[in-house]
Amino acid sequence: MEGAFSYAPAIAAFPLAAFVVALTFGKWMPRKGAIAGIAATAGSLLFSLWMLAAVASGEVYHETLYEWTAGEAAGEVGDGIEFTFGILIDPLSALMLVIVSLVAFLVHIFSLGYMNAEGETGLPRYYAGLGLFTFSMLAFVYADNLLMAFMFFELVGLCSYLLIGFWFRTRSAPSAAKKAFLVTRFGDYFFLIGVVAIAATFGTVAFAGDDSFVAAAETAIADGDTLFGFDAQTWVTITGLLVLGGVLGKSAQFPFHTWLPDAMEGPTTVSALIHAATMVAAGVYLVARMFGYYALSPTALAIIAFVGGFTALFAATMGVVKDDIKQVLAYSTISQYGYMMLGLGVGGYVAGVFHLMNHAFFKALLFLGAGAVIILMHHEQDMWKMGGLKEKAPVTYYTFLAGALALAGIIPFSGFWSKDEILYDALIVGLNEPVIMAAYAMGLVAVFFTGFYTFRMVFLTFHGEPRSEAAEDPHPVGWAVKVPLLTLGVLALVAGVANLAPVAKILGVDIVFLEHWLDGEYGAVEGLTYSAYGELLAYETGVIGSEQLTILVAAGLSLLLAFSGAGLAWKLYNVPEPVAHKERLGSARRTIENNYYQDEYQVWLARGFTLPLSRAADRFDQTVIDGSVNGISTASLFGSSWVKRLQTGIVTNYAALIVAGFIALLVFLGVYGGWF
Amino acid sequence: MAVFQLAEWTAMAPALILAGTALALFVFDSISPHSTNRSLLAGTAAGGALASLAVAVWFIVAGVGTPTVDGGLGEITVLSDQFVVDQMALYFMIIVAIVTALIVVASYDYLVGHAYQAEYYSLVVLAATGMSMMAAANSLVTIFIALELASLPSYALVAILKDNRGSVEAGLKYFLIGALSSAIFLYGISLVYGATGHLQLDNIAEVIAAGDADPYGGLLGLGILMLIGGFAFKTASVPFHFWAPDAYEGAPAPISGFLSSASKAAGFVILFRVFTEAFPLGDQMNALIGFDWTVAFIILAIVTMTVGNFAAATQNNVKRMLAYSSIGHAGYALIGVAGLSADGGELVMGAAMMHLLVYGFMNTGAFLFVALAEHWGVGRTFEDYNGLSRQAPIACAAMAVFMFSLAGIPPFGGFFSKFFLFMGALEASAANTAMLAVAAALVVNSALSLYYYSRLVKALWIEEPATTRDRLARPTGLYAAIVVAAVMTVLILPGFGPVVDAALDAAVAALG
Repeated sequence: MEGAFSYAPAIAAFPLAAFVVALTFGKWMPRKGAIAGIAATAGSLLFSLWMLAAVASGEVYHETLYEWTAGEAAGEVGDGIEFTFGILIDPLSALMLVIVSLVAFLVHIFSLGYMNAEGETGLPRYYAGLGLFTFSMLAFVYADNLLMAFMFFELVGLCSYLLIGFWFRTRSAPSAAKKAFLVTRFGDYFFLIGVVAIAATFGTVAFAGDDSFVAAAETAIADGDTLFGFDAQTWVTITGLLVLGGVLGKSAQFPFHTWLPDAMEGPTTVSALIHAATMVAAGVYLVARMFGYYALSPTALAIIAFVGGFTALFAATMGVVKDDIKQVLAYSTISQYGYMMLGLGVGGYVAGVFHLMNHAFFKALLFLGAGAVIILMHHEQDMWKMGGLKEKAPVTYYTFLAGALALAGIIPFSGFWSKDEILYDALIVGLNEPVIMAAYAMGLVAVFFTGFYTFRMVFLTFHGEPRSEAAEDPHPVGWAVKVPLLTLGVLALVAGVANLAPVAKILGVDIVFLEHWLDGEYGAVEGLTYSAYGELLAYETGVIGSEQLTILVAAGLSLLLAFSGAGLAWKLYNVPEPVAHKERLGSARRTIENNYYQDEYQVWLARGFTLPLSRAADRFDQTVIDGSVNGISTASLFGSSWVKRLQTGIVTNYAALIVAGFIALLVFLGVYGGWF
Repeated sequence: MAVFQLAEWTAMAPALILAGTALALFVFDSISPHSTNRSLLAGTAAGGALASLAVAVWFIVAGVGTPTVDGGLGEITVLSDQFVVDQMALYFMIIVAIVTALIVVASYDYLVGHAYQAEYYSLVVLAATGMSMMAAANSLVTIFIALELASLPSYALVAILKDNRGSVEAGLKYFLIGALSSAIFLYGISLVYGATGHLQLDNIAEVIAAGDADPYGGLLGLGILMLIGGFAFKTASVPFHFWAPDAYEGAPAPISGFLSSASKAAGFVILFRVFTEAFPLGDQMNALIGFDWTVAFIILAIVTMTVGNFAAATQNNVKRMLAYSSIGHAGYALIGVAGLSADGGELVMGAAMMHLLVYGFMNTGAFLFVALAEHWGVGRTFEDYNGLSRQAPIACAAMAVFMFSLAGIPPFGGFFSKFFLFMGALEASAANTAMLAVAAALVVNSALSLYYYSRLVKALWIEEPATTRDRLARPTGLYAAIVVAAVMTVLILPGFGPVVDAALDAAVAALG
């Protein structure tokens, strides 16, 4: 594997080239840029797999490629700072590279069926957007420092904006794009401040190595330093929470989750790639990337865990009442990222990353499946107009079902293993920490809702009698749709094998491959391993009875809830003519249907608070600032016309003025110098 | 590079080549007074200027002026120290040669149909000879002679459009003010001679250092002040600036560019040389004349840049606006002397020298654009220039470059020289807090200057043409000169390293 890493920049460069090609020549290409995108992402996928193999053979890569500026300014701890572009390929980023490039590759293929075959216009723009996004995401994944990560974090946000607003002639898409942009940007303000704070404190923004900010923070805490008037641990918590602002925005966690359901206005392929599998994962990935930093702060971790657990439940309840198939998936995405945050927050680094991987596969599958359903239904998204698609589109049905089982957490599908591991990690920590226990409880209850809304969606879409003409006579789907579905369907089924932790612990066999992978059994950068993080964590774990019993209790509880949720959905909706049961919710119905008035209060905040504030700022700008500027320019122009008048055009006047000016200078300097 | 094998007088080659070219043109003129062989005449003049440039560059690369301890050839003195060829002299000879070459090439088209072609070119080259000699002059006598050698042809050149009342009137005004200034300057020389008994610059410094001039402090001070008056005239600084707007407006536009770039630079080189060689700052000098003479330059710099920019702000005539802007830039360059101190000031003086080089390109280019507009006959005011970019995008793009560079906007050369001036002024403020006021004036005036420079760019690129125009001609020579000036204004940024080195070396050598 010698030298494999020198090709690492190509992983991101391929899609960038595809972006340029699609943008400049897309109009004249046979598939409007799709071929370039597919070739580029295939190249990225191959190289990513190569990197994965290289890491598996025990090597890692941490290299600075370009230093764009360096400063001498002393930080609170470090002195001098360098801002660089560099690549860090360790087990975590190698894994994520494969996930991102695989999903991007499949989505590009799927787009042939979803966009090209449906006769969309503006395809070069679409493929250029996908290419730019894939480039930014891959570069974000292997960024070796926080600032570079921030830049590409912003760039993926931009691509998200561009692609949500792809159908910019509609009313809703541009509005949704703006909302996504603004809400995530709001979180990113905190992120930016966090980056600056970390850079100013530790004089470094590197993720890995002896001169990383994580190592510097650890030293500062050990030395009992005071940073900016706080003790080191508090300051780490503050900066960590600032960075978390960006994470919550990007990963659509409460209270910044409101943009994601609206983002479904974009093409479904975009939802699959960006708003399910990859970009939304960027937030969670960032927490995993700098997990060593968060591990230093129990407060920050507890907040992450609690927000995660709360979001998991909160979003799941909203998913229950949605009628649009993509809306259900959007809320389930929010909910599932809540699980990942919960996992990371309780120190379950492996569990969080495991669920991130599984979710990328099965949620991309579900979105692409939903895309296939939308093709079948002639662009109808309301589940109440579907039904009976099971027999007419078996490939779509069975792959969708695999994704649904994984999402609901039904054994032995992949989602079960990772979700169970998260809940187990939360439970054992929660036995000693009431806050974590509350987060665990919310996560556990959310399992029931997840099972319910998932199967409500499956039954309404595929079972029963067709409820519209479109459902009776579905539009056929081609190979470009089926191949990605089948690939992801298989992964949704088997990806759990990567880390069968409960089985391993009960049977005592060593089959926790992902844990070994992330623990650096193969290759790893020092300090960025699961066990290194474990040493930093301040959590104590407990068990109910014995470890095995705890595992069985946790797994049994979540399975039971998942099955009851699915079973309730089966009872209510797996009938030939299903009807809505929302009125049974009683007074809660309105609140949930209105998404707990989250949008309303945010709009109220914008209108009632931000708008008057910006009006006042505007008035200040218009009167005081502009007034003084205008005053100065008026005075200048007046002075100018006065100076101009000195130039009379009469040469005797000039001579007189010259002599007068000279004498004035002479008198002044003569008196000043004492000549007289 | 066996320069040292040549006779010492050959060190003046850049100036001598120009003198020879001028004389050759005169000979041609006397043989064939009515020749309109423009290619031959302009070609000869341009060839002379370029040869002068090449020799000056060769000398500076070969190490003339670089102190011998640094492996250079050291300063070369000519005519018993009456002239000295050092880095600063060569640097300014280069500026003069570049501007002369640009002007001559542009004049090829500008002078179509004019009488006195040969006279024009020989006068230009003769004036350039004077400026080149000013760069090397090392005694008050040679300084005065070189200055007059530069001035007298300039008066004639301003008035060369004999059928044009404005041109003739401008020439006369320029001449009258010039005569007054020369008188003051000459009087100043005699006072300095009276106080010190010497005309050669280093001898003056020795006498002052030895304390022999101590009884004549006031006399010497008055002499110095009168010398400043002479330099202020040449550099178009307040209060000796009154000739400039009228002369530049009336003169043929290439001559305006020539005077405002090369002549100004030459004025600054003798200013730098006289004040660093003859009157070096120090406690003794201060005690002698009662104050630190930088005070005079601080006042002049602030007043000059303020008057220039404020008067330029509301002009309607483009050429007149450029004339005032040129006064403003004289104020910027004066910072280079104002920021000197007893043991420092290399940075600020080097910055002023850089600014004069960049200014040689951008200001000449701007005046050449005006020459192009005069050639087209589109008119003189901002309104007349409206929408020219539709018909002449290349020239207008070049003009935009000149304007933004003059205003000091990155990434053009003018930004960097102004930036260095600002930094130098701030550095100098450690020794002299009054420099803070100069730095502040620089910023305020730059901001104001952006107003009127961008007004012209707006007229060219954004405004609708007021009248419909015929197709505009594309005169080769003018276009070539403008494009070269624009390209240099842009490229001088990546090439700023060598320019900085050359200017700083020259400043260090001059102050050393």
